[in-house]
Amino acid sequence: MMQTVGISDLYVSDNKDDIIVTYSLGSCIGVTVYDPVVHVGALIHCMLPLSKMYPDKSNTNPYMFVDTGVTQMLQAVYDLGAKRDRLIVKVAGGASLLDKKRMFRIGERNFSVTRKVLWKNNLLIAAEDVGGSKSRTVILNMDTGKTTIKNKGQEVEL
Amino acid sequence: MSLRATITGQLGSISAMPVVVGKLRQLLSDPDVEFRELSEVLKYDPGMTTNILRLANSAYFGFRTQVNTVTQAISRLGLKRMSELVMTAAVGPIMQRPLKGYEVPAGGLWRHSIAVAIATEHLAGQLNIPVPEDAFTAGLLHDIGKMVLGTFIEVDTVPIMKLVDEKKIPFDQAEREILGIDHAEVGSLLLKKWNLPESLVNVTRWHHAPHLSEENTVVLNLVHIADSISLMSGIGTGQDGLAYNISKEATEIIPINIKIIESCAVYTMQKVSELSELFETN
Repeated sequence: MMQTVGISDLYVSDNKDDIIVTYSLGSCIGVTVYDPVVHVGALIHCMLPLSKMYPDKSNTNPYMFVDTGVTQMLQAVYDLGAKRDRLIVKVAGGASLLDKKRMFRIGERNFSVTRKVLWKNNLLIAAEDVGGSKSRTVILNMDTGKTTIKNKGQEVEL
Repeated sequence: MSLRATITGQLGSISAMPVVVGKLRQLLSDPDVEFRELSEVLKYDPGMTTNILRLANSAYFGFRTQVNTVTQAISRLGLKRMSELVMTAAVGPIMQRPLKGYEVPAGGLWRHSIAVAIATEHLAGQLNIPVPEDAFTAGLLHDIGKMVLGTFIEVDTVPIMKLVDEKKIPFDQAEREILGIDHAEVGSLLLKKWNLPESLVNVTRWHHAPHLSEENTVVLNLVHIADSISLMSGIGTGQDGLAYNISKEATEIIPINIKIIESCAVYTMQKVSELSELFETN
């Protein structure tokens, strides 16, 4: 079943029939994780790097931020039986506007915080398609574990 | 005939702004307007009345108590706000359609437009700048040229994107090189045809390059920044993605910083669905 992940949203699955997709990542970051042995995986679409700038979290969603979102995603897949040493992690998004003053560098910061959170959790990035100024659609196939990126009608495996 | 001439030639055949909008905006600009006159104009457009009332009762504009008539809505929201609601109700249905060439799904341009309208107003508030008149409407209409190019003319954007990739140039510059015109200019020509005020035409025309406008107004720079924030957030972003310049001058005129940018993105994200899902897509 096609499962759509909105902006600031997470979908966790242990169902081989699921195809998880998130559309038009701009500066946002998309992370897929997949354990091929137990077929447990997840896709998250985070908008901003750090939650600590927003102390009033009652109004905000933890998946909006890379630090809280990716951490919760990892916990969720571990709860379904995934193991850290089998987890395949892929990252996409983090695009930027053409900004000479680099004031709007949210994409860059999203990616650097993603790397930091993964590093803290002893996880390596298996593949990435980040930066530039294009918008990306990310798809995780829960049967094959393949992550693909769709851009301008073409779908490429990451 | 050049592509530019073909495109501008077709502007005339695009459905006119509903006649009631012009009449309503004119009436609403008169502080002594009589409610009876407004009801008289709206009597013949029940769809419009329904959409105005939906907006007036939305979480974004609305109040705790239900508004049941346009007269009630005006007395609660005021004439200026009402004028913005009229415009939103009028363009909503046409901006819901998918933009084929730009690979924007149905509702995408509408969500992006609503996001920019909300972010424009919010930025002014965050920076303690008095919210300029028609700020919401200016944000709402800035990309209407994409609606013309993507829906009515269905331009082939493949060569445009190819140029963006090869030359690493902004999308609007590639549009100018391929089509002889960009979506900002197309939009401004349409708004002129619709007899909308020059301030709105100016924002649409220069939203990607405010520093080039002869009328470099606060609202123009606010829309430029609000558009940039919405593009980054990926709200209704098409295949043109983030291939647009940030005007250095705009970030000097509007004293923003990363904290303001981020909190504006959070606010906009939270508010956008309150308005974007009000009208059904057909």
